Amino acid sequence: MSAVLEARALTRRFGDVTALDDVSFAIPAGQVVGLLGHNGAGKTTTIRLLNGLLAPTEGDVRTLGLDPGTNGPSVRARTGVLTETPSLDDRMTARESMTFWADMWNVPRPNVERRVTELLDRFELADRADDRVGGYSRGMRQRLALARTLVHDPPVLFLDEPTAALDPIAALGVRDLVRTLAAGEQRTVLICTHNLVEAQELCDRVIILRRGRVVADGSPSEVVHAAALPVGVEIEVDPEHSAAALSIASEISADRATLGAGGAIAIEGMARDAVPQLVRRLVASGAEVYRVSPRQATLEDAYVALYGNEDAA
Amino acid sequence: MSWRQIFAIVRRDLRLVARARAVVMPLVIVPLIFFVVFPIGAVLAIRAGGEALTELQPLIAMLPAEMAASLGPPPLERQLLVYLLEYQFASFFLLVPLMVCAVIAADSFAGEKERKTLEALLYTPTSDRELYLAKLLGPWLAAIGVSLFSYVVYLVIANALAAGDVGRPVAITSLWMLTVFWLGPAVGAMAISILVVVSARVRGFQEAYQLGGAIVLPVVALVVGQLAGAVVLDARLAAVLGLIVWLVAAAILYVASRGFRRERLLRQV
Repeated sequence: MSAVLEARALTRRFGDVTALDDVSFAIPAGQVVGLLGHNGAGKTTTIRLLNGLLAPTEGDVRTLGLDPGTNGPSVRARTGVLTETPSLDDRMTARESMTFWADMWNVPRPNVERRVTELLDRFELADRADDRVGGYSRGMRQRLALARTLVHDPPVLFLDEPTAALDPIAALGVRDLVRTLAAGEQRTVLICTHNLVEAQELCDRVIILRRGRVVADGSPSEVVHAAALPVGVEIEVDPEHSAAALSIASEISADRATLGAGGAIAIEGMARDAVPQLVRRLVASGAEVYRVSPRQATLEDAYVALYGNEDAA
Repeated sequence: MSWRQIFAIVRRDLRLVARARAVVMPLVIVPLIFFVVFPIGAVLAIRAGGEALTELQPLIAMLPAEMAASLGPPPLERQLLVYLLEYQFASFFLLVPLMVCAVIAADSFAGEKERKTLEALLYTPTSDRELYLAKLLGPWLAAIGVSLFSYVVYLVIANALAAGDVGRPVAITSLWMLTVFWLGPAVGAMAISILVVVSARVRGFQEAYQLGGAIVLPVVALVVGQLAGAVVLDARLAAVLGLIVWLVAAAILYVASRGFRRERLLRQV
């Protein structure tokens, strides 16, 4: 399968600052890819390079087989970009905005009104379509910005923090939408997000950038596996014995036990065969053991392991 | 060149201007003052001037012979009416395209940055050249529209008030035609060219408008110079000035176009 988005040894510098450093990836059609990393890791620069807003310092970039540097308008005609800030005109109504964007993307004139109405309906903005955007809530603005990215029905979408301003239900709707756009309609979606739970749930693949370099690339489970994180155990005991239980757990696990907010004790990197011994010691101490469960490493754990504390945002 | 996209941006920019009170107010007030209030005031003052008008005789005497002849024979009241309505107000007129272009270009370039709407525009399938042209056309077309409207209003008022006294239609002269259709559009283009340069260096509309406001000074100097009798804007000068202003505006716009690249604009997002 040929790549829809491709970077080969891509480097971009701004003066002395290297925003992207020797980045390579190839993303086939229909994949949902999460581009993860701290602020300043190079995510937005990557999107700008893929859309021809910036030129690479070194290396190559291809979008839909085209060089965005020389075919910028042709590339952008087939991509939709949700920018980090919604980038909407407060003095225009949603309908006027959508009609403007439809013109900008050359939606055939006879289809403009239908397409605009359809998207306003889809994003539950039809009731307020003729109100000025300045009066919209953050969630409504985000939905309108999302509707804008789809006005020309592009095969490639770039979504920068698509659920950032949304309430949980609206965020769920956007995640469903992304799944539909990718799986149902074979669109390629590149998502920049700091929400790692969302990335794990939504993305077929994640690319983690750190200081402009790719430090992990694969499916969420591959990235987690590659991080070789120790398996943990979580234990819940009666609250009266939680302090004593923590002490026993710390002794057995060489101080890798912590007391969680819910009263459960989390033990990182505990060997499987140490679990029965721990349970025996807890029961012998008089604690009521309610639950012992393995704690699977998540994408968030892998991300933290890859970043460590040095780049904390 | 996609004219549909270009005019979509022009329409949007003008719609946004029409909905911003801070931007619309000067567009309404300046023409109203210069082409409604001032002509009425000037004509009424001349009519009520009586003997005091003789103090203005030296002003007429200083005019070049050709221009003095165009004022027609005495009485002085009639000559002053022709001078004010056909010469002096022609230089006032230049303030209209200048101010309209400055206000709208400030909103269109610097205001776009301030509202954080520029980035979405950069992701559209327009070329840099189309984007640049659209951003220039909006203020310029608006200036032409407001100027023409102001001229028509002025014609109606000036003729209603003074055509009877002068004995012929006023302000339909080669100077006015050149001012409205040649020098005025050139001055507008010049204002835009300067605002493009200024807007690239500031963060918001107010800052751009204030810095760009300095461009009215040459026109104010012309107006004051004409009132003092030091300069006379006649048809020949209007034609020459128009050519010079067009050339300077074109040069600035050409240089500014080389800096109008997505990559540079992104730094301002």
